[in-house]
Amino acid sequence: MAFRVESRCNGCAACVAFCPVAAIGGLKKEKHNIDNKLCISCGVCGRICPHGAISDDFGIPCRHQKRSLWQKPVCFTEVCVSCGICVSACPTGALRLSGDESSKDKKRIPSLETKKCIACGFCVADCPFEALFME
Amino acid sequence: MRRRGYAGKVLFVNLSNGSYHEEVIADEIYERYLSGIGLAAKILYERIPPHADPLGPENILGFVSGILTGSGAVFSGRWMVVGKSPLTGGWGDANAGGDFAPAIKRCGYDAIFFTGTSSHPVYLHIANNGSIALRDASEYWGKDAVEAEDALKATHSSRAGVAVIGTAGENASLISGICNDRGRIAARSGLGAVMGSKKLKALVLEGAYRIAVHNHEGIKEISRSVNRYVAFQPPLFSGKYAALLGSFMRLNPLQMAMDGMVYKMLLKRWGTSSMNQMSIEMGDSPVKNWAGSNEDLDLKQSSVYDPDVILQREKLKYHCNSCPLGCGGICSMPNHFQETHKPEYESIMALGGLCMNKDMESIFYLNEMLNRAGMDTISAGATVAFAIECFENGLLTKEQTDGLVLQWGNTGAVVALIQKMIKREGFGDLLADGVAVASKRIGEMANSYAITAGKQELPMHDGRNDPGFNLHYSVEAAPGKHTIGAQLYYEMFQLHRVVPDLPKVTPLSLYRKGQKYIASREKAQMAAACSSFMNVVNSAGLCLFGTFIGVHRVPVFKMLNEVTGWHNSPKEYLQIGARLQTLKQMFNVKHGIEPLSLRVHSRAEGIPPLGGGANKGRGADMGKMMADYWREFAWDTATGKPTLDSLVLHGLASYLEDYREELEKA
Repeated sequence: MAFRVESRCNGCAACVAFCPVAAIGGLKKEKHNIDNKLCISCGVCGRICPHGAISDDFGIPCRHQKRSLWQKPVCFTEVCVSCGICVSACPTGALRLSGDESSKDKKRIPSLETKKCIACGFCVADCPFEALFME
Repeated sequence: MRRRGYAGKVLFVNLSNGSYHEEVIADEIYERYLSGIGLAAKILYERIPPHADPLGPENILGFVSGILTGSGAVFSGRWMVVGKSPLTGGWGDANAGGDFAPAIKRCGYDAIFFTGTSSHPVYLHIANNGSIALRDASEYWGKDAVEAEDALKATHSSRAGVAVIGTAGENASLISGICNDRGRIAARSGLGAVMGSKKLKALVLEGAYRIAVHNHEGIKEISRSVNRYVAFQPPLFSGKYAALLGSFMRLNPLQMAMDGMVYKMLLKRWGTSSMNQMSIEMGDSPVKNWAGSNEDLDLKQSSVYDPDVILQREKLKYHCNSCPLGCGGICSMPNHFQETHKPEYESIMALGGLCMNKDMESIFYLNEMLNRAGMDTISAGATVAFAIECFENGLLTKEQTDGLVLQWGNTGAVVALIQKMIKREGFGDLLADGVAVASKRIGEMANSYAITAGKQELPMHDGRNDPGFNLHYSVEAAPGKHTIGAQLYYEMFQLHRVVPDLPKVTPLSLYRKGQKYIASREKAQMAAACSSFMNVVNSAGLCLFGTFIGVHRVPVFKMLNEVTGWHNSPKEYLQIGARLQTLKQMFNVKHGIEPLSLRVHSRAEGIPPLGGGANKGRGADMGKMMADYWREFAWDTATGKPTLDSLVLHGLASYLEDYREELEKA
């Protein structure tokens, strides 16, 4: 299963810049294509495409969203166990564990580099402890 | 193809000509050998020729992840490095945590194997789109492991998984390992030297591939269930009382079967250093190159190792990937380094009690220096202890030691010597390859002080306190390792709860201490079960400390089934573990290793017995224990070599012809 570029694509290459696995190819101003073997179904191409030219794993066209409206992972710090599963799930390196040295429990929790987040939600999906949610 | 839990392919990189190729591994192979160390055992047995020089192009160096790694299973963040060990000459493996294990699988591979030797320093880079390149590493060669990791991440991406050798690996020190995450190290078996000999400085893995899991919700539910046990943490006593508990355990004629939850609580509170003083007191930690005892390092003297003192330096907790326990810590080290990993028990005792070094500041410093150099702290500490004993007994003179006065407890000399070993400078060069090589260079008299098993320096668990350690030091294909089995481990694993044929041990039950030293069929069953189980654990990529909590609380076998969709019973998994144990032993036979030669040094066995302290007069009949153990696998009880019949028994009949030839040659 992978995302697909539809004929509406005008080759603006907005998706290319965001794909975390460089799975999208094609010449500028020409229809792009997604490499099935590389696509991890993160959906960022669908969210960023201004022409609605991307279909998801099930063939459903993705809706463009303004980037400022993309949801971001938020951590329940009390629930988080600092296991870092979310960090390794993140395809862009937007999450890392960091902590406050002055805190009593010296715990490290995931912190988000907003610029890098593509709102794929893999971190939330993979966290076994339901310590993350998208907001 | 189902491909659940594993990527289903491995990468081979030929460093001699810079080429690489992928190999698709059939599902049946995973079903028979699992992934991780199991898959590696199969590939290395088949492809490394018997005459291969461990530091030559024919050796294969493998970086492997486990089936559970990246699946959402807790405790599944261990990666393993495998190859023919230049230290022992036989099977070599080492294991580390941190964040590198999922990085291997995120590149779409279960393992990456290197063959050949590069003519110049290189590193492997796998980009986020899976593109593979061997890049010039000249600018990183000569940097320590932390500097090189930082520089490589700055060049590529901060999210990259990086495994790297330090200068010890570059200098082909036979006691060097491979580092990741700024100071975690797969230290044993000398595999850093193999990487150095191949001129491979590092692996930089940036892949973002996702591993499919058979029952994602199922594995998450198990992780939540396990975390309930991990999170249970009642208030504990102080470090001083932990030491007194060790004294009580020494004086008590009865032994209590350990419940892994107790150890879990200690780990969560202090990390492995929780055991420092307690181990000295109860006789678990060797002192003074295995010739001393708690009497040489009484409670007052050993208070420098008090875990509370170490904890004061901890700035933040450190967890390996997917670990809810977090036994590690990031510590401050003013005047030297901005931060350092909290030293582990093994490092503290090897650089401390074994050398009678009672300066914790120097242990912090040496731990960081050795991690940066990529040199095994256990082997380095053991080698210094060996050198001190040689010096004290007149086998070495001040002229030979570059003026160093190697006396017990001389912190300055210990620090200076390890710095020399790291740089292979002067007398340090003589010691940089470990105890066995140094002993050979010094002369036959030094053998009495060369405390090894199969040429590998022993870890900091005394087999005179728990003969199970001595047995595993002596019978494992990679000898002298403490991470496989012991009577203590068997008590904590609680395997009999899921495999009823195995001997039952009730947690917290009391038994006479003398029972530990009786060689019996039951002990052999327990040891064989530990070996088989740990092969499964190391194929799954799990952490030993997680499994200590017990298989009834951390359901290893159920986790494997949930991730892969298999329906194996625990007994069937242990049968696979026994197959892997046999295959690793066959590897050793193929490479000319006599299993009898791996037997632990007589002093560590209790020959002659200690005259005082916790292990006074203690020792077990190791010869009988080894033969009993081999019988459990249906191997030859006189030689320890797998028999042709045992190959059939363990489902390795396809190797009969090949192995028959190797046996005849041997």
